[in-house]
Amino acid sequence: MENQQTTKSELLKFVPSPSRPPVTITYGPIGWLKKNLFGNIWNTLLTIAVFTLLFLLLKPFLEWTVLKAVWTASTRRECIDISPDGACWAGIFPWVNNLIYGLYPDTLQWRINLGIGIGILWFIPLALKKAQQKMIFSLMGVLLYPFLANYLFLGGDRSNFHYIMACAGLAYLLILYVNIILTYLNRKRVEEYLEPFLERFCRKNATRWAYLTIWMFITVIIAFILRNQTLEHVSVDAWGGLFLTLIISGVSIAMALPIGIILALGRRSEMPIIKWFSLCTIELVRSVPMITVLFMSVTMLPLFFPNTMELNKLVQVLVAVCLFAGAYMAETVRGGLQAIPRGQYDAAKSVGLGYWHTMIFIILPQALRAMIPNIVTSFISLFKDTTLVSIIGLFDIMLMARNISIDKNWLGLHSEPLVAISVLFFVFCYTMSQYSQRLEKKLNTNR
Amino acid sequence: MDIKSNTIPHEDDTSGRTAIAVKGLNKWYDEFHVLKDVSLSVQEKEIIVICGPSGSGKSTLIRCINHLEEHQEGSITIFGERLEKNKKSATIIRDKVGMLFQSFNLFPHLTLLENCTLGPIWLRNIPEYQAIEQSTALLERVGIANLAQKYPGQISGGQQQRVAIARSLAMEPKIMLFDEPTSALDPEMIKEVLDVMIDLAHSGMTMICVTHEMQFAQQVADRVVFMAEGEIVETGPPEQVLGNPKWDRTSLFLEHILSH
Repeated sequence: MENQQTTKSELLKFVPSPSRPPVTITYGPIGWLKKNLFGNIWNTLLTIAVFTLLFLLLKPFLEWTVLKAVWTASTRRECIDISPDGACWAGIFPWVNNLIYGLYPDTLQWRINLGIGIGILWFIPLALKKAQQKMIFSLMGVLLYPFLANYLFLGGDRSNFHYIMACAGLAYLLILYVNIILTYLNRKRVEEYLEPFLERFCRKNATRWAYLTIWMFITVIIAFILRNQTLEHVSVDAWGGLFLTLIISGVSIAMALPIGIILALGRRSEMPIIKWFSLCTIELVRSVPMITVLFMSVTMLPLFFPNTMELNKLVQVLVAVCLFAGAYMAETVRGGLQAIPRGQYDAAKSVGLGYWHTMIFIILPQALRAMIPNIVTSFISLFKDTTLVSIIGLFDIMLMARNISIDKNWLGLHSEPLVAISVLFFVFCYTMSQYSQRLEKKLNTNR
Repeated sequence: MDIKSNTIPHEDDTSGRTAIAVKGLNKWYDEFHVLKDVSLSVQEKEIIVICGPSGSGKSTLIRCINHLEEHQEGSITIFGERLEKNKKSATIIRDKVGMLFQSFNLFPHLTLLENCTLGPIWLRNIPEYQAIEQSTALLERVGIANLAQKYPGQISGGQQQRVAIARSLAMEPKIMLFDEPTSALDPEMIKEVLDVMIDLAHSGMTMICVTHEMQFAQQVADRVVFMAEGEIVETGPPEQVLGNPKWDRTSLFLEHILSH
């Protein structure tokens, strides 16, 4: 032992050398050009060839869309007189309102704006760092917002239950924002102010009860204030344009994930009935073209319901699209579930978690995270697929755009509306894909 | 969570009641007979080390005890509670038994603290602040309280295994099973995990460890069980099984692992 100690003191002391910043090689833009485009004669020739080709291809397009385009005219004839081979954008402008709101009465369009605005407000806190319980309020959004939206968009006399749910939705949103503001001011949340009073009556979950009390109180107040406000009824037949597209895609996107998760879990279930039911649903829906499903939903779905029940086309289409989207999502989710190593299940079991706890807290968060690119791809294609509903006569943005060409002033104006809505679709889809990339980056920093 | 202090000398502890009783356990994977008539009785606060060549059924045995695997014949009784083939029974058993894995199996999407508090909050209905307090104390005990807000992917293997120990302890188990807890670790990290396990052994936990760390066995084990080909070949105090084995199979195995 003594020997060891003496040798120890004679040992050299190891001091790790300090870390250096990484060596960065930066080329200026000219350096980049030289290296990548004009590195040798062959590359230079290739670059020139490619650029010439691009120029030749893009020139007519640029001329048509911008240089020779007509922006103001009152009929298509005028457009052609001014510039025969340019785009006639003038035809789009008188139709913008219809493209966005469909045939919704002009004086009532504020209801759509308000409804969509509330919808956006509901999901803004998802992007805020300090907002708490993001899962809960997005879930509440999916549960309560439809009542509110339906109330605003459809109007007319609604049942009491519907009315109360809409008010509850408003109240929830109000409390959500008050709480977020309070959190940013470093104050207590609303319910925590009431908590001390309630602790006398219920020891357990005083916070939860406080929250419920406040929520109900505000709901009643809102219901009382709005009691005499009846909104004019607007039939679903008048819905259309971008508004309808957003409704169909919004509902199907919101429903696709829950349906997909349930079907995917069902398919992996050990209970034969559930397993076979999920399997058949998925395989059946997946192997049929979406247009067929849409046609069937309009022609066949009413056969399954009693004659007295009147189904509107929109609901039928929504059912079809949700089912379709859900079946596809189920396979995406299943892919994610299979990527989870068995050790995670073992660990969850050994901690004592049951099936639902394991799924909700351990497996699904990881599976969905791994599948974000695929899920968003499904969402994007779903958003674009909703244009198919124009085929069964719903006036979504696609059918509206096609209708411009049969307007007597703009007879035969086919290409311009299609280009215009393509740009619109690109903006929406690109935003979604960018958002998903940001989400991925944010979630990956945790690893 | 009250962790029993080191005052209880663990030499006397073997006199307690039976913690685990395995009787005539048989298990097959399809045609393959993994466990052949295994019987093992573990007293409360006893520390058992199971060793043996790979494929001898050591891991399968302790996975059966936790009902991660189903057995076909025989019985497993834990503190008088017989393990039946239903979910309720498994839940009761797992409430008393914690388990550690070779690959740690921490939940990668949760922070280290959340890994520990998840079980207590959702299964034992402990208020969140209390669960956090308790888990922080446990993380401190395994020496990583300062990393509580990190994610499993950001820490070393040894640290991950120690968090896994804290996660198991958070459920206040009476028995801990270790399935080769140090085999996936670098030599430098093995010690930090073994230290925690030794500390746990001294605190009076009932433990079954499948491990190749013979020094650990000699230091803390009350009994060493040697398994080969799905059978228990011999059982006895570490000095006897490791120092003076009765069977040629045991001696061959020991020669192999001690030769390097």
